[in-house]
Amino acid sequence: MRLSRRTLLAAGLTAPLAACSTPQRRGAGGPVEITFWSALRGSQQVVDAFNSTQNRIRVIFQQIPSGGQGGYAKLSNAARAGNAPDVATIEYPQVPGYAIDGVARDITDLVTDRIKQKLLPQALKLTTFDHRVFSVPLDIEPMVLHYRADLFEANGFQIPETWDDYRDLARQVKAKFPDKKLGLFPTDGAMQFACFAWQAGAQWFDTGNGKWQVSLADTPTRKVAEYWQGLIDEDLVFRNASDSKQHDAQVGQNLILTRLSGAWDAGAQMRARPAQKGKWRIAPMPVWDRPVVGTHGGSTFAVTKDSKEPEAAMEFIEWQTTHPDALTARLKSGTSSQYPVAPGLVAAGAKAFPGEYYGGQDIYGLFKQEADKIRDGWVWGPRMTATQRVMQDGFAKAGAGEGTLIEAVREAQSGTMPDLKALGLSTEEVER
Amino acid sequence: MKSKLACAVLMAPFFLLLVTVFLVPTGTAIWLSFFAQDQPGLGFGPESTVFVGLRSYVAVLSDPTFRGGLLTVVLYCLIYIPLMVAGALTLALLLDSGVAKLRSWAQMSLYLPHAVPGIIAALIWLYLYTPGLSPIIDLFAKGDIHVNFLGLNTVLPSIVNIALWSNLGYNMVIFYAALQAVPREVLEASVVDGAGPVKQALRIKTPLVRGAIFTVGIFTLIWALQLFTEPVLLSQSTPMISARFSPSMYIYDAAFTRNNYGLAAAASVILLAFTVALSYAVTRWTNRKAA
Repeated sequence: MRLSRRTLLAAGLTAPLAACSTPQRRGAGGPVEITFWSALRGSQQVVDAFNSTQNRIRVIFQQIPSGGQGGYAKLSNAARAGNAPDVATIEYPQVPGYAIDGVARDITDLVTDRIKQKLLPQALKLTTFDHRVFSVPLDIEPMVLHYRADLFEANGFQIPETWDDYRDLARQVKAKFPDKKLGLFPTDGAMQFACFAWQAGAQWFDTGNGKWQVSLADTPTRKVAEYWQGLIDEDLVFRNASDSKQHDAQVGQNLILTRLSGAWDAGAQMRARPAQKGKWRIAPMPVWDRPVVGTHGGSTFAVTKDSKEPEAAMEFIEWQTTHPDALTARLKSGTSSQYPVAPGLVAAGAKAFPGEYYGGQDIYGLFKQEADKIRDGWVWGPRMTATQRVMQDGFAKAGAGEGTLIEAVREAQSGTMPDLKALGLSTEEVER
Repeated sequence: MKSKLACAVLMAPFFLLLVTVFLVPTGTAIWLSFFAQDQPGLGFGPESTVFVGLRSYVAVLSDPTFRGGLLTVVLYCLIYIPLMVAGALTLALLLDSGVAKLRSWAQMSLYLPHAVPGIIAALIWLYLYTPGLSPIIDLFAKGDIHVNFLGLNTVLPSIVNIALWSNLGYNMVIFYAALQAVPREVLEASVVDGAGPVKQALRIKTPLVRGAIFTVGIFTLIWALQLFTEPVLLSQSTPMISARFSPSMYIYDAAFTRNNYGLAAAASVILLAFTVALSYAVTRWTNRKAA
């Protein structure tokens, strides 16, 4: 049995042979057990589906809090104690950090060409650093414009196609309704802001010439910051946290006409406000000049350093990310509208997603069109959670009238550099 | 011989605790601050533990968010310590003068908040400060007064308020005990010389309890520099408290959000050094005044 398990996996022969080729953790004859942590909704259904399709690998699932709510701290602490799960869920921005910390294993050799062919290359690029793959993307989430079709229609508003349109419309809304606003500048939304910058052509981080090049306040970012600062100064948008009771009230009480967020948010909205069924539709994110967009959200699966069964872990990851049954199980839970990284699954997604909430709109068709417009070349930084927090501290102050958005961005950079230096990374602050 | 043995036995618990909860952790922090798990370049290679000298210290000191936290805590001390010392002393003088009726009741009700653990106190106040939950804010709103206890400029005073509520009674007891030790002849002599109660309090009693004032001041300073519990809890209700609001929060964030233990250790050592230096400076300054 010295035959490499990896070769077998690559050849796609695992199913019939794995019973004897996969090493067993407990007792001969029983299935291999692997552990899986995720905060993603519908994960339990996916795991159940996987466990019921085969009996060689048994996945033990544990629902953990989302990253910001303690999920990432839990993963880091477990890894430090040497008992991280076999498979962990990591959002794109956090992948380089976990790769640097050695929590996410280098899985370049496990990600076979067969898997690669099934995934959007621009998504895999976001989890590949220094020519090594550290996690497998599950969903890629182009930002889209969720809008209140009923209010748009009643008032004769046009869907804004460009950011200039968006500002004009915001003025119209303000003039017509003293209490309503077109949108929100989320003061807890460094990730939304990153997406705006991404779309505009920003390059916050780059890994050219073996160094982390950092330029958070580059020209495109300054343009975006100035644009939103203008909307704030003219009082055209709400400025509060998007994850707050206040924002819930704004949406629930019909005070806000649009939401800018990732494709996944369609499912979250559906779950949170069933009463608004039929009122929302989805349109492309407004653009500057070129038809490109950025992403907001999205998760990846990593095999951790502590996994004793990396091959089994990878088999589970491959199934989760590329098998139609996995997506169907997740969407059937009625709480998700993720856009899969595997284009082959889009049809299954469109079929499984309950469409009545959006008045039968083919939202998966729209997501597909938008996913193809994601601007290539974005790189997340080594300590995004911290960078994000410092930026949001500045945004909150700017929202309260002290300081500006661009100052918040600069503070995020100056609060990140000491971190990177203390990690021993080669860094360089560049002006773009 | 026997007394030496007794001495050793009696002092052993102190030294045991000193070593286990102070010297060992401090030594570990200093050790950690000089090492790091490094990978060269982009950082995706294998890790190795290397001696990095003062690198983590340079990083902490060059971090504007750390310096900002230090500034916040200094500002906090400047508001909190004078209020605390003046408030506790005034209450103690009032109790001592006999003006206050029901002395023991007053003493107990003032001391009681100190028996509430800091985290519970912060939770109670969090409730009172949070719009939509707080009966106080509702009450004000009925009178058309709109207050935001967790706004940009009110959040620090709000934290000071929690700390005062918790600690005023305790420090008052210390002052009261010191006042009780003031010789009654001195007070009688001052009355004979024509000092009224206010003059007596300010000119006779206060100078005589200077030792207690100094003790309370220095303990309050050391406690205040470690500001952590209250802002961490309040930060759940307001974005005006950042994750690196105070140096202690910076240390926590460095260790548990940024997974940068070297940085956290260096920041801890810097905070320790800052506290020691400040306490020493205050001690020297007070002693010179006393001399």
